[in-house]
Amino acid sequence: MDVDDQLTPALTLRGVSKRYGPVVACDAVDLAVRPGEIHGLLGENGAGKSTLMKILLGLVHRDAGTITRGTEPVEIDSPQVAADLGLGMVHQHFSLIEPLTVWENVILGDTGRIDRAAACAQVEEVSRRYGLPIDPNVRVDRLSAGERQRVELIKCLRRDPSILILDEPTSVLTQAESAELFTVLRRVVQAERRAVILISHKLAEIMAATDRVTVLRRGAVAFHGATKDTTAQQLARQMVGREVSLQSESAALGLLPVERPAPVGEADGAVVPPTAPGPAAQDEPAALRLREVTMLIGGLPVLDKLSLEVAPGEIVGLYGVEGNGQATVGELLAGLLVPDSGTVEIDGRPVDLVRPGALHHAGLGIVPEDRHHSGVVLDMSVAENLVMKSLAAVTTRGVLSRRRMHKIAQQRMTEFNIVAPSPDTPLRSLSGGNQQRVVLARELSAGPKALVAAQPTHGLDVGAIEDMYVRLRQAAAEGVAVLLISTELEEVMALANRIAVISSGRIVGVLPTAEATAERLGMLVGGVSH
Amino acid sequence: MSAADNIATILSSGARLTVPLAFAACGEYVAQRAGTLNISVEAMMLGAAFGSIAVASATGSATIGLVAGALVGVAVAFVHGILSHRVQINTFVVGLVLNALVLGLTSYLITVSTFTGHQVWQVDIPVLRDIPIVGPMLFVQRWPVYLLLAVIPLTWWLVERSRWGLELRAVGENPQAADVSGIEVNKRRRQALLWCGLLAGLGGAYLAVGEVGSFNQNMTAGRGYLVIAAVIFGAWRLGRTLIGCVVFGLADAMRLALPALGVTMNSQLLIAAPYLLALLAMLVFATTHREPRALAQPFQRGTT
Repeated sequence: MDVDDQLTPALTLRGVSKRYGPVVACDAVDLAVRPGEIHGLLGENGAGKSTLMKILLGLVHRDAGTITRGTEPVEIDSPQVAADLGLGMVHQHFSLIEPLTVWENVILGDTGRIDRAAACAQVEEVSRRYGLPIDPNVRVDRLSAGERQRVELIKCLRRDPSILILDEPTSVLTQAESAELFTVLRRVVQAERRAVILISHKLAEIMAATDRVTVLRRGAVAFHGATKDTTAQQLARQMVGREVSLQSESAALGLLPVERPAPVGEADGAVVPPTAPGPAAQDEPAALRLREVTMLIGGLPVLDKLSLEVAPGEIVGLYGVEGNGQATVGELLAGLLVPDSGTVEIDGRPVDLVRPGALHHAGLGIVPEDRHHSGVVLDMSVAENLVMKSLAAVTTRGVLSRRRMHKIAQQRMTEFNIVAPSPDTPLRSLSGGNQQRVVLARELSAGPKALVAAQPTHGLDVGAIEDMYVRLRQAAAEGVAVLLISTELEEVMALANRIAVISSGRIVGVLPTAEATAERLGMLVGGVSH
Repeated sequence: MSAADNIATILSSGARLTVPLAFAACGEYVAQRAGTLNISVEAMMLGAAFGSIAVASATGSATIGLVAGALVGVAVAFVHGILSHRVQINTFVVGLVLNALVLGLTSYLITVSTFTGHQVWQVDIPVLRDIPIVGPMLFVQRWPVYLLLAVIPLTWWLVERSRWGLELRAVGENPQAADVSGIEVNKRRRQALLWCGLLAGLGGAYLAVGEVGSFNQNMTAGRGYLVIAAVIFGAWRLGRTLIGCVVFGLADAMRLALPALGVTMNSQLLIAAPYLLALLAMLVFATTHREPRALAQPFQRGTT
């Protein structure tokens, strides 16, 4: 191996394992991180990255293995111990407390008297040193995602950690913000000889930012080596355990556009729309139609007379930059919101949105954006989740038949390729991809006329993304009207027949995918319509 | 009696009736900011009222009785804290059980014991007490009232300015984030409960050895619940919480004063007045509230 191996690693893990019941989260993981390097930890969702980091932070206790800090074996049983050992973490979901100010968040966990002036001065000092501009007196809930990330970094760096761990740090950042972050990280390792562990499932990021990389697959180390000696394709293969075939899927992975050009998400020529089924016949009535839907939140129009229709057998992509109303469309069609005016029609009939379950009864299936929140019940079993919307099929005069429920669940698990030890397994212990399959299986088996998929591949691994794409195309081919709500241009381009662009709560243009060029979409997304 | 005298009487009795509520509210406010919707505040007050009279009767000192009452409040808080923030039993269940237990226990004990009456001494400031209308309210009160005037700013300072308070607020908002910052979440919550117990104990004891000089069965009569209502009414801000206490105290004073003023009204309805008012207040203010995000959510490490 290379010269770096002679350096004493800042942190060594040997044979670290952790199981949750029958599920193996980490399986004898070895990992060595050296000072002055950015170490990428790559893996699909559910590969065990997060569990491994929770072990390092003292949030989860390992079942086996040793952890060595420098040359000392250590026992990390609380976040306090982790901090004392010089381990600092920037969390995937920000660990900031919103109603507190920046400086209050930064000094949280210190001891001694509070000295506001000194705290603010420290924040400003760290912020200057690393080029992370922030006002220490502002409340965190007023900050953007990128600014919150800066606060997290400042909080972490102020404690002078020798090992900095970042868990999916770019998942909520814009392209420019991500670039800024990696510049800071490079500084941290080169000028100050700290070690950085960068957890990610984005290949492009790992290739661009790391020195060494460890790939985890199903809890075990699948690959380990210097980043410069490997290729994105090789890493992808290691991560998934097979070749990544479809171009669109590689795009969704972040494999293809290694350097995406503009923040407005312009596709480069490499992304080729799939051979889509022909657009639906013109005279067929829309299976799903939104008519002049207006939604006010806090007096501001989030949806502004939005009209949209999806014909049977068609996939319409609702695309736009986050915060322009597509999340609201998703919640509306999930029945979580009632619009202030306008109607939703399914198969030509308006639906009374005030009645709970009305959309479902009218024949609308939904794969909601936040599946944990409104898609599934994590603490109920796979079978119970699968039959939740068709209880009539498994009950007789109000009595639930477990036998029938199991039978139906087994069928759907086979049909939708849901990997779970048994139908009675709690959904919580399944991977994100399998949880999403449960949602999709439940919605599609109800025989919907229209299906809404809101950010259906968010947080999923390649295999699950591929599977989702196949299922959505198949549903459309069978005559279901599919509305795909997405902020990923590649995803929309890969799946949709038509792309409707949303900006400031209005549809600013609808284009057949074949005519959708980066320039035209970019103009529309920016709110420039013709 | 002149109208001014009537108003002075009502204000003065309103102030006295506000005191126990305000003491307990300062405590409940802290507990809720840390994320415990503490309904055993009723048990803390009732237990303290009994304890204060029992100890005052035994020692002959109302002041020692008051201290003992505060300690009873702390004891109830300690039990609550262990059960809900160490053993992780649902905090409402713990609160309900403690309330029922203390009510039953004190009701029994008062039937088998005889206590002599004791009252803490009264501060009576000459000249100032002769100020019309507000004079008697502000300057003729029993000494714990002046202690309350110190407790209020102290509570505010603790929550808003001390590190302990900062951690407390963090724990009430986002316990997971507080945990990874190295704060012992459940310990902070237990500590906040102890502060609540101390103050609710003082409030309950004041009811017995301050206001009345004796104990009777179910003496607090749901005042603990009014305190919880006051914190919600106050939208988790101390100033507004105390305004809520004053409103409830005045409503109580009106109830006592109206018959004396010759207004005849159904007495049962009058007794219900403060509670009806609490309900209305919460109805009106419910929509504008920004409660601590982790209020009434238990914390266990490793769950997200």
